[in-house]
Amino acid sequence: MKIGKIISISNLSVSILLDDSRIAPRSCVYALRGNERAVFEIAGVDGSVAKAIPLAGVNGLKKGMDIYLREGGLSIEYSDDILGKVFNSYGELIDGQVLRDSKPKNIYEKNLNLAEIDIEGGILWTGIKALDFFAPMQKGFKMGLLGGAGVGKTVLIKELINNIYKGRGSNSVFVGIGERSREGKELYDEMIASGLMDKLAVVFGQMGESSMARSRAAYSGLTLAEYLRDEKRQDVLLFVDNIYRFVQANSEISAELGNLPIESGYSTALLSEVSEVMERINSTDHGSVTSFQAIYIPADDLTDMAVNTIMSHLDGQVVLNRKVAEKGIYPAVDVFNTTSKLLTAERVGERHYRLAKESVAALARYQELEEVVAVLGIDELSEEDTNTFFRARKLRNYFTQPMFVSEQFTGIPGRYVEIADVLDDVENILTGKHDAVDENLFSYIGSVGDKARAKSEAVV
Amino acid sequence: MSGIIQDIVNRKIEAIKGENNVYDMGKVVRVSNYILEAGGLDEVGYFERVRIGDKAEGYVSRIGRTGVTVEVVKKHKPVYVGDEVTATGEPFRAAFSEDYPGHIVDIFGEDKLSGNKFENLRQIPAIAPNIPIMDRTSVERPLYTGICGIDLLYPIGRGQRQLIIGDKKTGKTQLALDAIVNRKNETAGDGPKPLCIYIALGKSKKTVKEIYNALLQKGAMSYTFILTAFQEDCAPALFLTPQAGLSMAVEFMQKGRDVLVVIDDLTQHANVYREISLLAGKVPGRDAYPPDIFYTHASMLELGCQHKSGGSVTVLPIVETRGGDITDYIATNIISITDGQIVTSAKAFEKGQRPAIDFGLSVSRLGGAVQTAEMKALGTAARRELLSYLETREVFELANVDEMSPEMRAKIQGGRELMNRMNQYIFDPVRPEEMKERFGPVVETLTAAVKREAAG
Repeated sequence: MKIGKIISISNLSVSILLDDSRIAPRSCVYALRGNERAVFEIAGVDGSVAKAIPLAGVNGLKKGMDIYLREGGLSIEYSDDILGKVFNSYGELIDGQVLRDSKPKNIYEKNLNLAEIDIEGGILWTGIKALDFFAPMQKGFKMGLLGGAGVGKTVLIKELINNIYKGRGSNSVFVGIGERSREGKELYDEMIASGLMDKLAVVFGQMGESSMARSRAAYSGLTLAEYLRDEKRQDVLLFVDNIYRFVQANSEISAELGNLPIESGYSTALLSEVSEVMERINSTDHGSVTSFQAIYIPADDLTDMAVNTIMSHLDGQVVLNRKVAEKGIYPAVDVFNTTSKLLTAERVGERHYRLAKESVAALARYQELEEVVAVLGIDELSEEDTNTFFRARKLRNYFTQPMFVSEQFTGIPGRYVEIADVLDDVENILTGKHDAVDENLFSYIGSVGDKARAKSEAVV
Repeated sequence: MSGIIQDIVNRKIEAIKGENNVYDMGKVVRVSNYILEAGGLDEVGYFERVRIGDKAEGYVSRIGRTGVTVEVVKKHKPVYVGDEVTATGEPFRAAFSEDYPGHIVDIFGEDKLSGNKFENLRQIPAIAPNIPIMDRTSVERPLYTGICGIDLLYPIGRGQRQLIIGDKKTGKTQLALDAIVNRKNETAGDGPKPLCIYIALGKSKKTVKEIYNALLQKGAMSYTFILTAFQEDCAPALFLTPQAGLSMAVEFMQKGRDVLVVIDDLTQHANVYREISLLAGKVPGRDAYPPDIFYTHASMLELGCQHKSGGSVTVLPIVETRGGDITDYIATNIISITDGQIVTSAKAFEKGQRPAIDFGLSVSRLGGAVQTAEMKALGTAARRELLSYLETREVFELANVDEMSPEMRAKIQGGRELMNRMNQYIFDPVRPEEMKERFGPVVETLTAAVKREAAG
């Protein structure tokens, strides 16, 4: 159905003069550019002029082109077949496969009410020492992995996929938003090679694609996860890399529409956009959605408005820090900003809670002592401080871990560590049982028990 | 006003009658520097190439209700209000010739040294389309730069995007030139010849000539061309030059060639883009950069890849920092796009370290995946020992070496030796086999010390 004509075009939007103004935002329309369809989503209507955002690009569009309505809005096709497939942001398969018996589903429809949301769930161990110890995870949680550029978010997400998804075998959805295409393809290749692709549906809206593609990848991925949760009644793992790029894409769109930006140039509707997506990631009584979301910290600024908005929706967060990474400590966890709602004596037990608190205290004291030592030397410290100094260094080294997915980089085989071992080891370090052992021997090991093996393998 | 429109219509009819290959016409109504507003041009497409007589050419950057905005890419003579604007019916494209290697060229196909146009020019997209995710394959073949600190510790693979970032005068461009020159040592026999594109953005003419001479002297110009836009060129031309350069690289890649592209530098590019969009009246984002600055850089650098055709585009973008701060907006954007970064440090430069690489801040996300098994084993051990030494040195900087435990002293001395061996002259590449001789023994001593401790 023809609804109007293009009257103006700019970098990321077009204006449409409507024949009949009864069209709502988020409707889908298209123009014919040669024999391909240029599709747009309506962003707003002012009298008889609608602003629309192109899903791909505006090159070659002309004034006066006819605009037609696409029924059903922006929707993706789904069926029992979605696992093992790779979609783009608009639900089109990009891996050359076909979806059988598929039905369309609008990507914006879903909204949970308060009664439907389920907050119970068991503890979910990840086998990564620093995460299990400082930020334990629960089924149905939203866990954020925050970090600036190049401090290891993607590696950590991949390790979690490796440890949890491989171990549990639950159906999963991976949403790649605004990240590197190379990494996306590598993840796909690895999943195929290890025979894990059959339980995974992937949506890619990567960094080389238009802002609309990057923004809508989040909705499409959620729609797939909701299908598994609501219609297939499953426990679903949702991996998002990287939710910050969703906010970033929205701010590009918002600026192009001429909306005044809020601080740091973010979209005026930042709060509602983040909330719309985050409120859909929840568990219900039919099934759970447990999500791990990588969050990019622009300009290494943890107080960034977008980052904080996303953080307010999280149940737990792991913060990665450049200062830690610089010292060759991976995962570069900043223990002072890493938290989880689960870390209470009631949920994880008194011992775990106490050890976590003591560890953070020791590491905090170490930071202060480090400055003293740099100026005065180690000999000037009291005996208690000397002990804290060396034990904290061991603790810091202990929380490094060889990752399965970065074996090719470190040359050390990955380790999955049981939480019971972590608690024992931390207690032994803090109480001084390992005082006589060189601190380097705690780097890149699993538990202390298997350190000798790890080291001898590492030294080629 | 109606007089002008009547005038336009009449001229258009005349032009069509004359079959001058004119698609659409309009008139300049506003001129500001390199941004024009034109009336008419009802049929023009977005990003279409337009001409303002023989005075200038540009592309359509906005189509409004009553007229269009044109960004001028090349200006020969001053443009006045009332000048005729003609559409061409085709998108703005860059000129390209297979004969570029050996020359300094611009995106219009002009040989900058002779001032002549190339003969067999072909038009290619100024902004190449995205490479589909399924057309990419793993980056795993090494691209040797001949620099120990890179090939051994933070290796670069063909199809990788490795950022070179650091303050002014810390040797960023030199690292890239070393990599270009070392390409000639790489291809032996009948394999496809290497190909390099050095993109100079807003560099002074003297600098470009120096770079040309250096590459010529080292015998690297036979497989390299310099794509340049000077500061005096129109800002939109500067903006499009790196994108056009990558588009050219993609042309070669699809024929199975391994292309190395150096973009010197992206800070300049970001600033030019900011200037254009502020002048065009667009809403500014963070630090007044346009809101889609990340996308602009991402979509460009995503063209670097290992393609399923066998060819590859390796990109070494350069970013200049101030005061050693690699966490500013543009720097972190590009770090989050690339597959790793080589950080050059003013402090290391002052201390005489050459190349002045900051080993703590440098990263390669591909790591050993692009190294041979032998290099990977040596590189992993060397990197671990070096980082451990640098960290220890920081904490115990003021401690008296003579009073340390023998293990600690051995570690510090070994680490220092390792650092010394990382030093090398410019254009003095070290082959992988030589690196094994150079670093093997010292790394072995260092790791043996750890092994002894573990046993004891």
